[in-house]
Amino acid sequence: MNFVLDAQEKSLLEQIKTKLPEIGNDRSKLIPVLQLIQAKLAYLPAEAIHVVAAHLDISPSEVYGVATFYNQFRFHPPGKNAVKVCLGTACHVKGGDIILENFERKLEIKEGETTADREFSVDRVACVGCCALAPVIVVGETVHGHMQPSKVEGLVLRARIEKEKQEREKQQK
Amino acid sequence: MPKLVIDDREIDVAARTKVIEAAAQLGIWIPRFCYHPALGSVGACRVCAVKFIQGPVKGVQMSCMIDAQDNMVVSTTDEEAVDFRRHVIEWLMLNHPHDCPVCDEGGHCLLQDMTVAGGHGLRRYLGKKRTYTDQYLGPLLQHEMNRCIHCYRCSRFYQEFSGFRDLGVMRSANQTYFGRYENGVLESPFSGNLSDICPTGVYTDKPSRFFGRRWDYQRCPSICINCSLGCHTVASIKYREVKRQEARFSEAVNGYFICDRGRYGFFYAGLEERSRQAMVDGKEVPFDQAVKVLKEKIEEIGRGQGSEAIACVGSARNSIETQAMLQHVCQLKGWANPSYLMDRAITKKVKSAISRLEPELVVSLRQVEAADFIMVFGADPINEAPMLALAMRQARRDGAEIAVLDPRPISLPFRFTHLPVVLDDLSLYASALIKTAVGRDAVKELGQNATEFYDVIPDVAGNSYPVKEQISNLGEKLRSSQRPLIVCGTEIVRETTPQLAADLALFLRAAKGQAGLFYLMPGANAFGAGLFSRVEDSFEKTVEDIENGAVKALVLIENNPFWQFPNRLRLKQALDQLDLIVVFDYVNSVAAQKAHVFFPTTTLFESGGVFINQEGRAQAVPQALTGGIPIAQTGGGDHPPRVYGLGISGFEARTAWQILAELADLELHSEEKLRSKVWNWMIETIPGFAALPPIGELPDDGIRIELGAQPSARFSMEGITKGEDLAEKFELIPVEWTFGTEELSAHCECLRDLAGKPCIFMCRSDAEDLNLTDGDQLSIELDRGIIEAKLRAENDMASGTLVIPRHKDLDWQKMDNGRALVPKGRIKKIT
Repeated sequence: MNFVLDAQEKSLLEQIKTKLPEIGNDRSKLIPVLQLIQAKLAYLPAEAIHVVAAHLDISPSEVYGVATFYNQFRFHPPGKNAVKVCLGTACHVKGGDIILENFERKLEIKEGETTADREFSVDRVACVGCCALAPVIVVGETVHGHMQPSKVEGLVLRARIEKEKQEREKQQK
Repeated sequence: MPKLVIDDREIDVAARTKVIEAAAQLGIWIPRFCYHPALGSVGACRVCAVKFIQGPVKGVQMSCMIDAQDNMVVSTTDEEAVDFRRHVIEWLMLNHPHDCPVCDEGGHCLLQDMTVAGGHGLRRYLGKKRTYTDQYLGPLLQHEMNRCIHCYRCSRFYQEFSGFRDLGVMRSANQTYFGRYENGVLESPFSGNLSDICPTGVYTDKPSRFFGRRWDYQRCPSICINCSLGCHTVASIKYREVKRQEARFSEAVNGYFICDRGRYGFFYAGLEERSRQAMVDGKEVPFDQAVKVLKEKIEEIGRGQGSEAIACVGSARNSIETQAMLQHVCQLKGWANPSYLMDRAITKKVKSAISRLEPELVVSLRQVEAADFIMVFGADPINEAPMLALAMRQARRDGAEIAVLDPRPISLPFRFTHLPVVLDDLSLYASALIKTAVGRDAVKELGQNATEFYDVIPDVAGNSYPVKEQISNLGEKLRSSQRPLIVCGTEIVRETTPQLAADLALFLRAAKGQAGLFYLMPGANAFGAGLFSRVEDSFEKTVEDIENGAVKALVLIENNPFWQFPNRLRLKQALDQLDLIVVFDYVNSVAAQKAHVFFPTTTLFESGGVFINQEGRAQAVPQALTGGIPIAQTGGGDHPPRVYGLGISGFEARTAWQILAELADLELHSEEKLRSKVWNWMIETIPGFAALPPIGELPDDGIRIELGAQPSARFSMEGITKGEDLAEKFELIPVEWTFGTEELSAHCECLRDLAGKPCIFMCRSDAEDLNLTDGDQLSIELDRGIIEAKLRAENDMASGTLVIPRHKDLDWQKMDNGRALVPKGRIKKIT
């Protein structure tokens, strides 16, 4: 999915563009440049790939080829509610993959992706260190233990209602 | 020289030969997907595993990764190795879809062959298969990524071998993806090779999609006639139609690959609008009747005006047989001497190039790869002869330096030095290079002439050349090179440049003991055309003769002057003066539509023929099909023919030389006898052909025609001066493009979108002077009309030059022969 850059991201990208000449345009600078962009934007939007390709005078497919080789680069913006589903040994045994699949179905995205409204992103993680609570998910900073497929809907709904509430309050103010 | 034993047979191989190659030399074919002789080893597919029984390495190893060494004992049939390979195939097949029945690769798929041969018939894996999204890669290739087995051949060919970067490898591990960043037409003019080298059906040929399996086609070796290089191809024919062309390996010419113009440039042969019937005054008539009518008409003109009033024009796309027969018939009948090439300058340049291709200097296309310094004069490889650019890239990969002296904006898939100089100064700089690159001592052994010539060359240091420094830099590099090569175009350069290129090559050879010379020529058989032409003969002269009334009848043999003659209006008026226009052709050209008498001729696929490429290599093309209208057209789609009759519809076409023979009342033996008769006549009478064997006995890689050294043609400073200052004028240069300017390939639907839009190139600083910006619509007023196209401002081209691709969609033929100069005031922006 191609995300439209919001105003803040656009200005950040413009800032980065002005910084690029300092870094130099040798192709060996490709990864540092990509890291810089990810540090600022938290992901690599399609526009950034073209910016980098133009700056280093290489083809976008080369930039994308390198960026996708490494796990450190993301191509989807993190959601406001970043859902991390644990699929470590204990969670796997306790059916973590079913939880992940429920999130994917409910949010209509695949793991590693972000919903179009940027509210949710779903990732899988290896272990969050509280195996006794398996299966575990982490939403933002909050750990939810003993997950069940039926709880997934509740979590998503709660986040959406929370958002609506905030918007209503904003309007009233 | 390592000596090793493979499958109990001993072999000596050159050092650094891989075991897989050593086995191939013994005739043992070890399975492989990622290994390709042109691309080298990567060890990605693991299917070339063999067992090393004795020697420095032991156990099951990849034969493509290990150099042959002394005392190795290798078994390809060892049980452990065979089992290993069987399992490799099985895991390569884990994710491969079961779509062989609908896959175009089925039937010539390496993966399919290996799977069957390896005995992996039943699938044990029950899990989900990995899938990908396919991309649109343009009109030539179909992408089907799910079939990929990750051999990396495509990205290695595309990026490493051919030097283009828009297709590559993305992601990693189980998700590795081969494609572009986003949908789009592939930028490389060599992309068609991906369908040849992909071991399975990830890239398949798009124009022939869903038309047939390999075994449905009649496959026949052929040669590409879309430029002068003469690369080898295989033509695939089904239902009386050439449907696909693939590259054919040639040690001497193209190696393993061909360019897209050559691969897809054959569709002219099966076009629906191709005329298949003889015509008199626009009406279809039986062939014999047309011959009779034509004979009468010619006789009448001969009686009235003398037989000299009949002028015949061949072309650079005639086969040698046609060119020879034309010469023979003209002599027999007392007609004017035939011309073959478009204008005087081209005739002169081609003829001098032919005479200067001395046996010690001439190199083949493959030998270009071995050069360590390539100096290019007035040639644009990627546009004029794409495979030359590929060969030069291989030289560059081996560390060669490459420099191009040319006014055009040149783009090549490797790093090179471009000196954009105007055409007038090109020869001067070439001569300056001689002086900087070769010392006076080395010149002496070439004789008195050479020293005198050397002394006359103006010194770079004492001159005010704008690119003085670069020239002396290049000269220094040329001086220190070991295997220099001079490449020279004949199309846009002045008449002196091909001469000087040869002189430079001679001097370099004298200094270093080794130097190469490589010309490009305007057409597949321009070499033959040059051999048959006299210096004074050209189509330009024929037009003058028509204008002054000396010529009353014009016979055009597979020639369409409307395509390339620089002044269309003049040509039209000249043809209108004629009493008789006769056209023999296999494309329905403008000239053919003007003909009073028209004869359909056969393409090289239908009759075969011999063509001589730009290095003088005579190569024979066998007949691939018997001709006739493709079944898809006679039946209207896939229906069987709706009209029944004896014979094949559209079968009336004959070879141009057969029709000529009929006109001349030559004894009509069988086709083969007639062909060898004209061939023998040619060998006996035309100098240069004497070394050719009887027809039908040319070896696959052809025979090089050698005219021997001609010392009298060497070393002349005549006409080499600094060009006059054209401050207020631009020189207009019509040029060739990879796609869209060559007549035969311009008929191909699938190449149409690749041609790009018509445009006019101008140096950016010139454009700024005239207050023009990139993308402006320009109008250029010439004496014969106005040319309109978009401006493309380029940094890297000669100032004072306007470059116009002879695009089929651009009405550019409004200039006189010779130099076209445009005053600044006549270049305007259309608002």
